[in-house]
Amino acid sequence: MTDLPLIPAQNQARGPQQVAITGMTATSAAGRGLAAVTGSVLDGTPGFSGVARFDAGPCRADAAAQLPGEPVLADELTEAVEAAWAAARLPVTARAGCPLLIALHADPAAARGTGARQVTGVTAATVAVRCGLRPAPRVYQTACVAASTAVIDAATMIVTGQASRVVVAAGFLVDADSFALFDAGRALAADGQVRPFSAGRQGLLLGDGVAAVVLESAATAAGRNAPVAAMLAGWGRSGDAYHVCQPRPDGGGLARAIEVALHRGQADRSEISYVNANGTGTQYSDAAEAAALAAALGPYTAMTPVSSTKSVHGHTLEASGLLELVITVLALQTGRLPVNAGYLAPDEECELDLVLGPGRSPRGRYALSLNAAFGGANTALLVEAA
Amino acid sequence: MTLIPVAPCVEDLPHGEPAPAGMAVLARAEWPEAPGDELPAIPGFIVSSFSPLVAEVAGRCLRRYFGTAPADLARGERTGVVLATCTGDLATAAAIAAAVDEGRRVQPLLFFQSNPNAVVGWLTSRWGLSGPVVAVVPDGDPMADARDCASLLTAGGDADAVLIIVADQGRSPDEADHAVALLIGPRSWPEAGTTLDVPVT
Repeated sequence: MTDLPLIPAQNQARGPQQVAITGMTATSAAGRGLAAVTGSVLDGTPGFSGVARFDAGPCRADAAAQLPGEPVLADELTEAVEAAWAAARLPVTARAGCPLLIALHADPAAARGTGARQVTGVTAATVAVRCGLRPAPRVYQTACVAASTAVIDAATMIVTGQASRVVVAAGFLVDADSFALFDAGRALAADGQVRPFSAGRQGLLLGDGVAAVVLESAATAAGRNAPVAAMLAGWGRSGDAYHVCQPRPDGGGLARAIEVALHRGQADRSEISYVNANGTGTQYSDAAEAAALAAALGPYTAMTPVSSTKSVHGHTLEASGLLELVITVLALQTGRLPVNAGYLAPDEECELDLVLGPGRSPRGRYALSLNAAFGGANTALLVEAA
Repeated sequence: MTLIPVAPCVEDLPHGEPAPAGMAVLARAEWPEAPGDELPAIPGFIVSSFSPLVAEVAGRCLRRYFGTAPADLARGERTGVVLATCTGDLATAAAIAAAVDEGRRVQPLLFFQSNPNAVVGWLTSRWGLSGPVVAVVPDGDPMADARDCASLLTAGGDADAVLIIVADQGRSPDEADHAVALLIGPRSWPEAGTTLDVPVT
């Protein structure tokens, strides 16, 4: 094993409760629903094109992965929650009282309104009311780990007996403010492609993303003969304590999150058959993530398939953790690994077994979905095939 | 070793809150705490008082418990951070919106401070707090939401202690910024200022 810090005893097992994913759906620029999203990531077809939803103005980059037209976030989220609930084969009557945890990017309307109430709160409340879920959903804005943090909180609510079923939803639709902001930070790829872990990578591109999952205690799911898409076997989260926006170069924080997830799921690092990486396509963070994987997986790094599907659907910011969790489950369900698109050539700082073309299969039961964010926040979700 | 005067825990968590068993408030701070209270600027953060507000209230709270930064390794790596803000960073968001609406380039530094996580990274890097980071935008009582999040961190074993920060900017020129920070932790932790068997640098 690595010389990472010892895992506290209370983190080493998930306890008697197991967490099942009984319903899920996702939307990306490829389309609405699992079929569209699955096809794009398994084929490795990037969804980037020139932005049409707004004028990119003086920005140096001009590409994003966007749905056509002008989708409305509350509508997209409502549709996603309805679809995930239906996939879980739950009756409408079971919705009342079910908690909703939701990850949202700050709404640009908030900066242009009266400031009387956060627009994200309005959006979240609208979704809860429309869907008949418990009012006053919690809104996460923990940057790029917002959705994965919501998933971990939902799982914790289940394993500690605070809830038997939780809906987690997340959404981001590319807007002019976010685009201009990331362009100003020189974070966007000027060549119009996201190339995670590849030599010549120039940065990230933003993408539309909406997803919803239903998490249930395994006992509750079994009691009603629910369909189980996968088990959320483990989870880990950590902070880098390093920088405002850069990850630790040695990946130590993310590695700790991975180790905690493996311990909690009682899985060995040799059993990981796929990693859906954070892989933003930026120089610094991809190298740090490769270091984290090397630290956490040790000699198994070279034989663990890795891809970042941000190369296909773009960076969906606060929604990333949920969209990518759904894709990780899809990889185990379909037996096909999503492609790391945009790849040009090896980078010696990213020595990983990248999935560079369609058709590869996972060789085991477990997969990881990783996310990292500004402020040094890291999450790792461990998924087990049903 | 650095010896710091011992102070008692400030208070128990209020009744009616889902306080984890065995938890106590180890330190507390507010901003402002006195008339004329000022916010020190943070290098690299511009335009808005939001990040300085978070940094100052959190720094006060942490100094009251740990003394000088950083925290000792044993406690620092088991301390998470929950930031709850109803308003978010209004001034930064407004500056970005103004630039976009006027067809100007956005100031690059706004990219780095645009998410509430950023100032938390500034804080945790100085204090050596390497537990999880959570940021929420409550639609109701922000302290209640933050406490719930903190309870999940400790109940799930992801942290032993949590620095809770509730920070909101004034929504109009007549309304002042305000922030509260609480460090909650196990009753088994030493009282404020107690030196552990590790160097405090």
